[in-house]
Amino acid sequence: MKPEEIRVCVLRIEGTNCEDEMADAFRMAGAQAEKVHLKQLTGETFPEMKRNLEDYDILALPGGFAAGDYVRAGAIFAARIKSALGRDVKKFVEDGKPVLGVCNGFQVLVELGLLPALDGTMSPVPTAALYTNDSGRFECRPTVVRNDNGGRCIFTSSVERGKLMMIPSAHAEGRLMSRDLDFIRKLEENDQVVFRYVRDDGGKAEYPWNPNGSESDIAGICNPAGNVMGMMPHPERVVTRFTHPDWTRNCPGGEGDGLQIFRSVVDRLG
Amino acid sequence: MSAKGLMAKRNVSFDLYDIDILSSDDEDLGRISSDLSLGLSMDEMKAAKGYFSKEGRNPTDVELQALGQAWSEHCCYKSSKSILKQFVFGIDREDVLSRGDAGVMVFDDDHGYALRVESHNHPSAIEPYGGAATGIGGILRDVVCMGAQPVGLADPLCFGPIDMTADIPPGVKHPRYLLGGVVSGIRDYGNRCGIPTVTGGIFFDERYTGNCLVNVGCLGIVKKKDLALNYAGGPGEVMILIGGRTGRDGIHGVNFASRDLTATSDGDSRGSVQLGDPITKEPVIHACLEVNGKHLITGMKDLGGGGLSCAVGEMALAAGCGAEADLEKVPLKEEGLAPWEIWISESQERMMCTCKPENVDRVLEIFDMWDVSAVPIARTTDSRRMKLFWNGEMIFDMDLEFLTGGPIYDRPYILPEVSTKEGEKFPELPDDGKVILTLLSDPNVASKEWAIRQYDHEVRAATAVHPMVGKLNMTGPGDASILLPVHGSMKGLAVAAGCNPWFTALDPYKGGMSGIDEACRNIVAVGARPNAFTDCLNFGNPEKPERMGEFREAVRGIGDIARGLNIPIPSGNVSLYNEASGGMGILPTPMIVGCGLIGDVRKAVTADLKKEGSRIFLIGKTKDEMGGSLLFRKFGGERGDVPGVDIVSLKRLMDRLLEVMDKGLVLSCHDCSDGGLAVAVAEMCISGDTGACINLRSDGIGIRRMLYSESNSRWLAEVDGKNVAAFGAVMGDDAEDIGSIGGPSLIMTEAGVDLPVREMRKAWNDPIWSAMGGGS
Amino acid sequence: MAVIDIRIDLKKGVADPEGNNTKKTLESLGFKGVTDVKAVKVFEISLDMPAGEAKKCGEDMCVKLLANPVIHNFSVTVR
Repeated sequence: MKPEEIRVCVLRIEGTNCEDEMADAFRMAGAQAEKVHLKQLTGETFPEMKRNLEDYDILALPGGFAAGDYVRAGAIFAARIKSALGRDVKKFVEDGKPVLGVCNGFQVLVELGLLPALDGTMSPVPTAALYTNDSGRFECRPTVVRNDNGGRCIFTSSVERGKLMMIPSAHAEGRLMSRDLDFIRKLEENDQVVFRYVRDDGGKAEYPWNPNGSESDIAGICNPAGNVMGMMPHPERVVTRFTHPDWTRNCPGGEGDGLQIFRSVVDRLG
Repeated sequence: MSAKGLMAKRNVSFDLYDIDILSSDDEDLGRISSDLSLGLSMDEMKAAKGYFSKEGRNPTDVELQALGQAWSEHCCYKSSKSILKQFVFGIDREDVLSRGDAGVMVFDDDHGYALRVESHNHPSAIEPYGGAATGIGGILRDVVCMGAQPVGLADPLCFGPIDMTADIPPGVKHPRYLLGGVVSGIRDYGNRCGIPTVTGGIFFDERYTGNCLVNVGCLGIVKKKDLALNYAGGPGEVMILIGGRTGRDGIHGVNFASRDLTATSDGDSRGSVQLGDPITKEPVIHACLEVNGKHLITGMKDLGGGGLSCAVGEMALAAGCGAEADLEKVPLKEEGLAPWEIWISESQERMMCTCKPENVDRVLEIFDMWDVSAVPIARTTDSRRMKLFWNGEMIFDMDLEFLTGGPIYDRPYILPEVSTKEGEKFPELPDDGKVILTLLSDPNVASKEWAIRQYDHEVRAATAVHPMVGKLNMTGPGDASILLPVHGSMKGLAVAAGCNPWFTALDPYKGGMSGIDEACRNIVAVGARPNAFTDCLNFGNPEKPERMGEFREAVRGIGDIARGLNIPIPSGNVSLYNEASGGMGILPTPMIVGCGLIGDVRKAVTADLKKEGSRIFLIGKTKDEMGGSLLFRKFGGERGDVPGVDIVSLKRLMDRLLEVMDKGLVLSCHDCSDGGLAVAVAEMCISGDTGACINLRSDGIGIRRMLYSESNSRWLAEVDGKNVAAFGAVMGDDAEDIGSIGGPSLIMTEAGVDLPVREMRKAWNDPIWSAMGGGS
Repeated sequence: MAVIDIRIDLKKGVADPEGNNTKKTLESLGFKGVTDVKAVKVFEISLDMPAGEAKKCGEDMCVKLLANPVIHNFSVTVR
């Protein structure tokens, strides 16, 4: 497939609000991206607006506050997807098509059971949680992540292992938790850890470098197959160098650190 | 006795009263105004009586309530209009595209940008979270009404001292509680709507204790071909009510905003305060921009103060039309609202649009797609009258020009006595190292990171210069933020606030000018050229001649400098009656939000020091102007000259500085404001995480006045040694080399200062974090 | 008709930043003797079904939407 033939579905409902920049980021990586309202996939709209999930090659769940994050971050959006599209989404994933969730989108993937997915493609109930930051506050700040994936994750397929990337965070609930005491070990065994928060010199992240208190400094994970990834930091906000918070001090070129993630998946499919 | 005896319920199945004003005497008229909470003065009630005498009938309660709304200070600017007209209106430039609900200026060949700021002071003083949140909602709608996509929020706030331990007056809430609630409200609403909050400011002073200020500003971007009107296209159009349902919330909000707060405002006024619903708003924005972008509508307007009663009439009359509305069609939150309540309710998240009858179905389809309620409730007519029906029964029939005409007052004023050098008392000071740390830790200077990082200032992925600048997680204060509002273009829109309420209290004319000067300084400091201002004029009770004098002089100052710079003010807002119980007025606060343009954002400059060994220059003249300075406030100085503005040199300095920045000769730049040169250089050291060595000449005014005077039109700029000659060739006498960058400390030889940067960072960083909790 | 109250609280051992923050703020407002604050969420749901079925229905709602079993306990009471 040529990159320009790759079709990305950027899924939105009321309250998702990072869909413009998510679509732009995929376009910068060469793909076609369309912002699609959930109602367009479930058929609750006029004929010419209807869309089929299976016509797309990548599904992206953008950041924001889907349905106001009422009940729990990501829970309502996840419940709506599950009831109307659960089977389609499961098939999409099992067909090996990439799914990306950023910030609120990551929360939706966890609530949907598509991550960490240790017990099958889509767990019937969530097996992890993205819980309130240790600080108790919304934290909008620069974060540095390290690519810790051994090669399974399609979204980091062309990012060097161990590479540090400045990808900013902006969330109030980003602390990855599980009841399973072996959770981190299992993720590591399956090569499901994708990103960890680190200091800007690569050292162990304390607050605020780890903005939420996430166990083992985890910022992003993928499913065992490597085609579903969720991350709290926002790569779509740094596709150019000129939205990095410190570019006036430190400006090696025009491209931002986040673009590699979009490029990885588009190049892999292409 | 109440006005009850003058009200006759009409024999219909809903609540409607005819009010007997035709046979009312003065006493009765006063009672009607107060019992119905109309907020109308005796003269205004008499004007209403005169009008209905000509109509030959008594008014309904709906009609009188609508009049109370339309003639409120908030809706018709009756106290301020003549002064605004005299001093600030009419700075016309070709690039002003609109002066509608928001101002719109040319951004580039294809786009305009929208700007507006307004106040949400009184609701926030009663219920800070909901008050601030609904303030954000309102200002977003004003920008959306222009057809513009909101791209940034700017929220300057003023509170009493956060460390206040003295007894809080009855009915007043602790400044810390208010600050916490307001910041949460802005955070939750702004973040949920996905609009970055990129600039603002938090001011602390005792005089805001009883009446905090919450000013909310918004910027938007619109394709020129999609620029929307705020009124109908002509008679025979359909008026569609969009968004939230209508309830009892916010009834009499405008009257509440048009009088002083009292000790019992809390209990009395809860009905005037509302909770916002950002998750209704967010799809409303999408849907409104979609119908406008497809050119299916003729006009769009926010339902703000006065609710339907103001919006329907204004949208019709501005098109030379009248309107007829069917009130029973308005979707309600609860059963049993009387028609007058529906007509004046200020329930949030509502807008009105007008369209040709043939487009109604397509418009409704788009709103349905977004799950946004949209109901045709009225149509425009060619009569210039406003008529309301309830299931066919006429309940309202008034001449629109009379209704929206409103009174205009030339209120009496007393010119304030201004502070001068005469009788100045320069305070006793500790050593200058101690002074600098004290100034850095004053909450007016100290880091606002606690608030800034709760606001998402990067959503939309278009923030090129952030509110905090410098090394990651070691940042210091920035000057202006810069947005990239057009995807794929490197043209930037800079935005910054400017205001000095302490200058304004001591010399309102100079204070008004200083706010504009500060906004310009901030914008120029990042390399952008000031292009337009919007202002929110927060003052006290206009019925007090002293307050009116402050207002008049401050507005005159703003007008003189804006005209001198030829920079338009295409939108603005006035908030009067900002007085706490006991008559303590706020500091007069003419809040300016300035916008600037930068052709290529890659040339932007930030305030953090960058390179060891480079030189630092002071740009602009430091004068003996200590009046209102942070130093005097902190250490007990009195009087002194208040900083003025020499418009000619401000212009020249901006031109020259922008020229050297455009040539890439400036590594960092920061304006001198609160705490003067001393605090400015300390802040640059903090964000650059490096020391500096400063050698100042006293210039005849003494070293301490050099360090702490807050003279306007000054910047500090860092220049690489190899560029000093090229820099000097442009700047000439306007820039003076005052030192070099490097080392772990800020050293000022003449003042005996040797302060480790880490100590300065702690003094600056910790105060607000420790007052509000948390911190790194 | 039945009305159920669903109470969602945090599992033992899950930190409660909202509760902790609220406690700190209450103390800063001068309330003395506040030893603990827990943030709990309550939904009041009216159901058109017999009380006997309502409890089961409420529990199902918790599993499918209202609670995340990793962090939450829930309890359903029929009024």
